[in-house]
Amino acid sequence: MTDPKKMKKNKEKSEKIGVYICYCGGNISDHVDVEKVREAAEKFPGVAVARTNSFMCSDPGQELIIEDLKNGVVDRVVVASCAPSLHENTFRSAITRAGANPYIYDHANIREQVSWVLHGDKATYKAEKLVAAATGKAGLLEPLDPIRVNARKHATVIGGGIAGLKAARVLADRGLEVVLIEKTPFLGGNAAGLDTVAPLGEQCSALIAELAKGVLEHTAITVLTRSEVVGFNGYVGNYNLQVKTTLSSSSAFDKAAGHVVPFEGDNADTPTEQNVKTGAVVLATGFRSYQPKTGEYGFDDHREVLTLPEFIKQLSEVNCSGDILELNGRKIRAMAVIHCVGSRQIPGIHEEDENGYLNEYCSRTCCSSILHAANTVKEQFPKTNIYDLYRDIRTYGRGQEELYDRAARNRVVFLRFEAGNSPTVSANDDGSDYALKVTIEDGLTFSEEIEVPVDLVVLATGMEAGDVSDLVSMMKLPVGTDKFLQEVHPKLAPVEMSVSGIFLAGTAQAPMNISEACNGAAAAAVKTASLLSKGYLELDPYVAAVDQDLCRGTGACVDACLADGALEMIDAETENGTEKKARVVPALCLGCGACVAVCPTGAIDLKGWSLKQYEAMVDMIVADELIDI
Amino acid sequence: MLITENLTRNFLMATTVQENKILILATESCAYPGADSVGQAHSSYPANTYILRVRAPVMFPERFYLDCFKKGISGIIIMSCGEECPYEGAYHAMAKRIDRVYQMMKKLDIDIRRLRITAICTVCNRPFLKEVNMMNDIVQELGPPVLKESQPPVTEQEPA
Repeated sequence: MTDPKKMKKNKEKSEKIGVYICYCGGNISDHVDVEKVREAAEKFPGVAVARTNSFMCSDPGQELIIEDLKNGVVDRVVVASCAPSLHENTFRSAITRAGANPYIYDHANIREQVSWVLHGDKATYKAEKLVAAATGKAGLLEPLDPIRVNARKHATVIGGGIAGLKAARVLADRGLEVVLIEKTPFLGGNAAGLDTVAPLGEQCSALIAELAKGVLEHTAITVLTRSEVVGFNGYVGNYNLQVKTTLSSSSAFDKAAGHVVPFEGDNADTPTEQNVKTGAVVLATGFRSYQPKTGEYGFDDHREVLTLPEFIKQLSEVNCSGDILELNGRKIRAMAVIHCVGSRQIPGIHEEDENGYLNEYCSRTCCSSILHAANTVKEQFPKTNIYDLYRDIRTYGRGQEELYDRAARNRVVFLRFEAGNSPTVSANDDGSDYALKVTIEDGLTFSEEIEVPVDLVVLATGMEAGDVSDLVSMMKLPVGTDKFLQEVHPKLAPVEMSVSGIFLAGTAQAPMNISEACNGAAAAAVKTASLLSKGYLELDPYVAAVDQDLCRGTGACVDACLADGALEMIDAETENGTEKKARVVPALCLGCGACVAVCPTGAIDLKGWSLKQYEAMVDMIVADELIDI
Repeated sequence: MLITENLTRNFLMATTVQENKILILATESCAYPGADSVGQAHSSYPANTYILRVRAPVMFPERFYLDCFKKGISGIIIMSCGEECPYEGAYHAMAKRIDRVYQMMKKLDIDIRRLRITAICTVCNRPFLKEVNMMNDIVQELGPPVLKESQPPVTEQEPA
């Protein structure tokens, strides 16, 4: 049994609160006077010490907390920094490393909710208030033990493109059962629409075949093609996915439009539903290629204007010899390629879509891709002239700058335009038999206007976020302003989503090339495997608890309880004889606090989020005199 | 230098005294990340807003809200998950309780516009800003609450 004296002590307010305030390298300190917040915090009731650091999440920052705990200077911790979703676990583990209980800590969010939305004195004042509130709560925090729940050693990958295939294979190799869900009848995703891949020029189909083979042959992986997730519930370690399959997925390589079963007919209209019980989900839902608007660089108006994916497909089907490229029986003596189509759009310059939206980001892959295609043409058909119309060339990454050099050596002619002065594509009227004319004010020749007669124009179209609105609403996923799925943090949690147990792989997250998509997929798979591999998870112990001394046995909490069986009335032996008392069944308690609101004596409260703590927070927020301005 | 500091000090003192504080109870699975999302977008909103992260606002009894007004909070916005509440039945129970709070507010002559219940999702930036600005307009119009009976708060006073 716990020492009653110690129990008593725990219920008193801590007088040894440590406050640790972060500059966040200027993210906070550019707007909040952090040292002033520290000076104010030193005078808050119960605060033993207040310290600052450039990055509290860094090793030296964490060390401040660890040292103070180890030396007995503090017994409660308040960190004032970014949103708690980012670093709550960082600081909890630092506290654990100091030998203390991780639940003696509270967090003041002074970045997302202060310095990023306010400036100047008001920001400093609000930061002081939020720190004050956190110290009010921290003084009442008690050590808690986490709840252990079983976790299924099973992961689900949604999306059967390159990233999904890679993630599934890595997961299975780490000993997890895997279900791969693909909407279409095919594996390979957008990459299946590519021919050879930059920078090395390997066949993309061979890459897909190798990855798909590794997935299809793995005994731990079940592939469900023509399948979609239509229902989702549960929690990390124990998710349930309702999966609808519209056709038998007996052959993932079956490329027929409809799969006709002998003597049965086409069973495309007989969807089946199944429940997939899984521990975690990897989202590899991919991107969609930007489709230019009618009239954008002559698209739709002239059949000689193609998007990059269309051109790649036509180029892969070319079967001609000679010095000049022929597409569909037409000689391409000269062609123009135009960069940044559907990417890097600027408000006021580019036309918004029907929802008033612009793709303001760079799609990152189109420069390399279009130059790879240009090199492919020039090296096979040297007499086809290529004019490359660009805003900036962004051939980043290993072996990719060489694509640009090679294009220059291959005599691709580069012309540069400004965003506000895009080239125009029109029908050629100079009397020659070139179908099109491209006009550009070329920044490389001091804004000389140049007209280029061409047989073909290729638009380097970028990437857009795939339409996953159904998954977004079902799984409550955060989406960025660019409409791609958003990770918790680009550096600190690059493949994690804010929903615990949901991970990101590939271009569902942002435009990226195949190498990067595979990196992301492998990272997401390893993160998933490490989450589930123990077979159990430790969840926060935020459940209700009854103070038996205060409980009068009214049963109001049992009536209000939202989880069947989480609260029950028992006969307890007290000094007054047998009395009715409420008891919590922690494994079933949801931690919602519905019981807290109805208890007439305040006997039941939520561990870690108690009503008393909230009251203390409000007291600190309203108590102006506590703030030393 | 000293004069400037003093001026700032006086100015801040003045603003703090007049500040109409808005308390926001934001659910940890929807509205709180929603508020963070507003921060990530660097969209400004009034400074007099104090966001408390809650698991489910169903835990707050009627007296909690009345106590807040008695303590000087000018407005309260409950930003819940609405129908998407992860605790089945919690939203309904809370909404019923808020109806009772409104009745009690009327008896105490507290303008019921000072308490608002709304649903904010993790990416509801615009609705978040709209709600906050709306409540700010109300509290600026009404000023801090003046209660009919000047009773001390119902909550236990913590030792000083």
